Amino acid sequence: MHEYSLASAIVEQVKKIAQEHNASKVKTIKVSADPYEMVIPDLLKEAYGIIIDELELFKDSNLELLILPAEIICIDCDYKGEPSIEGDDEFAYNFRCAKCGSRDTHLNIRHLTIETVDLEILE
Amino acid sequence: MTQEKKITVKKQAYLVNDEIADNIRRLMKEKNKLFFNIMGSIGAGKTLLLERLAEKLSPHYKIFVINGDVATTIDADRIAAKGATTVQINTGGGCHLSANLIQKELDKINIDDYDIFFAENVGNLICPAAWDVGAQMNMVVVSITEGEYVIKKHPIIFKGANIAVINKCDLDGLGFDSGTLVEDANKIKSDMEVICTSAKTSLGLEALIDALGIQLP
Ligand SMILES: Nc1nc2c(ncn2[C@@H]2O[C@H](COP(=O)(O)OP(=O)(O)OP(=O)(O)O)[C@@H](O)[C@H]2O)c(=O)[nH]1
Ligand SMILES: [Mg+2]
Ligand SMILES: [Zn+2]
Repeated sequence: MHEYSLASAIVEQVKKIAQEHNASKVKTIKVSADPYEMVIPDLLKEAYGIIIDELELFKDSNLELLILPAEIICIDCDYKGEPSIEGDDEFAYNFRCAKCGSRDTHLNIRHLTIETVDLEILE
Repeated sequence: MTQEKKITVKKQAYLVNDEIADNIRRLMKEKNKLFFNIMGSIGAGKTLLLERLAEKLSPHYKIFVINGDVATTIDADRIAAKGATTVQINTGGGCHLSANLIQKELDKINIDDYDIFFAENVGNLICPAAWDVGAQMNMVVVSITEGEYVIKKHPIIFKGANIAVINKCDLDGLGFDSGTLVEDANKIKSDMEVICTSAKTSLGLEALIDALGIQLP
């Protein structure tokens, strides 16, 4: 249910970027999200559609969402990267360190990031 | 003539939220204040625990509580009756508090008038996990009446918690069991304090105050 706040945060940031570049149109926005940030792609797109509905700058623009692989930080060996196991029968999110096998890990949730913006710029 | 241009941004979408959260954290630290974010499931006992904490702490400290709920001021009124200053934020449809909502409330008061700040987040074990409110410590409250698998089913919120509170332990053994919850909490995150409490009988309240790092004379 926080997709609406995320979509409006994206639009606010991109508005600023478009202004900085004197853009007449925003074409495509690519964002990436952590799998454990719990963003529901369809809801995000829907919220985006609602927010840009009356914004000329964003007319016919596209929001593309890329879900990244999970990332953990191992408390035992400081490994940072993809876990070897994300879940098993016992725990849905029982991450395991890919280096030392420890289950003592922190989940490193990377927040929704605007990767690129395609703009149309008036010459 | 128009021209197309791809801009590489690489910027967090709600950087704004994290920036505000970091500012709140810095300010609280500078001013030597404590700020705790209390998250947890619906009806786990967040408010009753805050009532107990307010009773115990307000003779010695000035307490400010920000209550987040979709609607009503019931929780803020309950805690205010126990000696804390409270304010209710109604999030409307929102399922979590965010740093800007906290900042708005802090702007209305003089932070120096208080010693300890609490935010009671919206009852929800999913969304609040992703929103930093600027607290120094995150605490998650669940209760043993929610079933022994509530932690297993919502592990993510515990990954970001400093303290897990297993509440309603007055009912332990009376058809409810705290054992699995304690075990799961310890397995999910070894550096998290796990405390069994009863907000009804005040069981575990001192251990909780200790875990929060609050000194009582
Ligand atoms: N037996 C028992 N009941 C409790 C305990 N803590 C809370 N309750 C009861 O559980 C119900 C919910 O408590 P609240 O403190 O309102 O819970 P909450 O987490 O603030 O709920 P929301 O803000 O609505 O999400 C109330 O009827 C409380 O009296 C406890 O430790 N033991
Ligand atoms: Mg409450
Ligand atoms: Zn490791």
